[in-house]
Amino acid sequence: MEQLVELKLPNILGSEKVAIEKAATIAEKMGFSMDKIEDLKTAIAEACINAIEHGNKFDENTQVGITFASDDTSLQVVVHDEGDGIDPKKIPKDRVDKDGLPRRRGYGVFLISNLVNEFSIEKKPGKGNNVKMLIHLNR
Amino acid sequence: MSKDIQVSTSHKGDIAVISIKGDVTAMTGEVIGNAYQSESVFDSPKILLQFDKDCYINSGGLAALIDIASEGRKKEQKIHAYGLSDHFQKIFKMVGLTRCIPIFSSEEAALEDF
Repeated sequence: MEQLVELKLPNILGSEKVAIEKAATIAEKMGFSMDKIEDLKTAIAEACINAIEHGNKFDENTQVGITFASDDTSLQVVVHDEGDGIDPKKIPKDRVDKDGLPRRRGYGVFLISNLVNEFSIEKKPGKGNNVKMLIHLNR
Repeated sequence: MSKDIQVSTSHKGDIAVISIKGDVTAMTGEVIGNAYQSESVFDSPKILLQFDKDCYINSGGLAALIDIASEGRKKEQKIHAYGLSDHFQKIFKMVGLTRCIPIFSSEEAALEDF
């Protein structure tokens, strides 16, 4: 049986901690391992930060919506902003600069894609942007 | 949101120690940067970043640490870290930070390797 939980966060950096605490509570009840819960927390934090910064462009009159949908085997999290979001084509693929140091920015999507089982960005012109993340209980 | 971080500096011989407790984010990165830039740390050839195991680190905080790694490389400083949770050790490896800031399992191991 699918269960749904929805949150609305103010568009302020730091509010992502409310989302990750909720995610941890849900994932713990579902029986996720601590490793997976930590991965999920970082992925959700980065999706929320991207929504606040790149989607809603720090506009405090906007909100970040988060939906948690869980069943017996997986948890899907959708982070919604009211703006244009990130264009995945504009994310630098090269992770190091010319001096061999890690690039300073652009880790949000990189981390999300490496920490969840499935990840997609859905743009809805004029209606915002959805980042969908799926994490399986046993994979 | 308040800057939910505690940063302090100390010395162990010729090694400057920056102790970090709390949230390492874009908002608090400046606090860590200021500690690194402080007179007693900035010119030290060896720097130890001592993280609390409960630190929360996001991509904005990683950017602040990359700034320190970058400056440290220019100044030929050795920078070591310890105290991170297993999860954030994994994140450091994932983004390539361990190439310039190696992580150690204990303070003793981090100090011995300088």
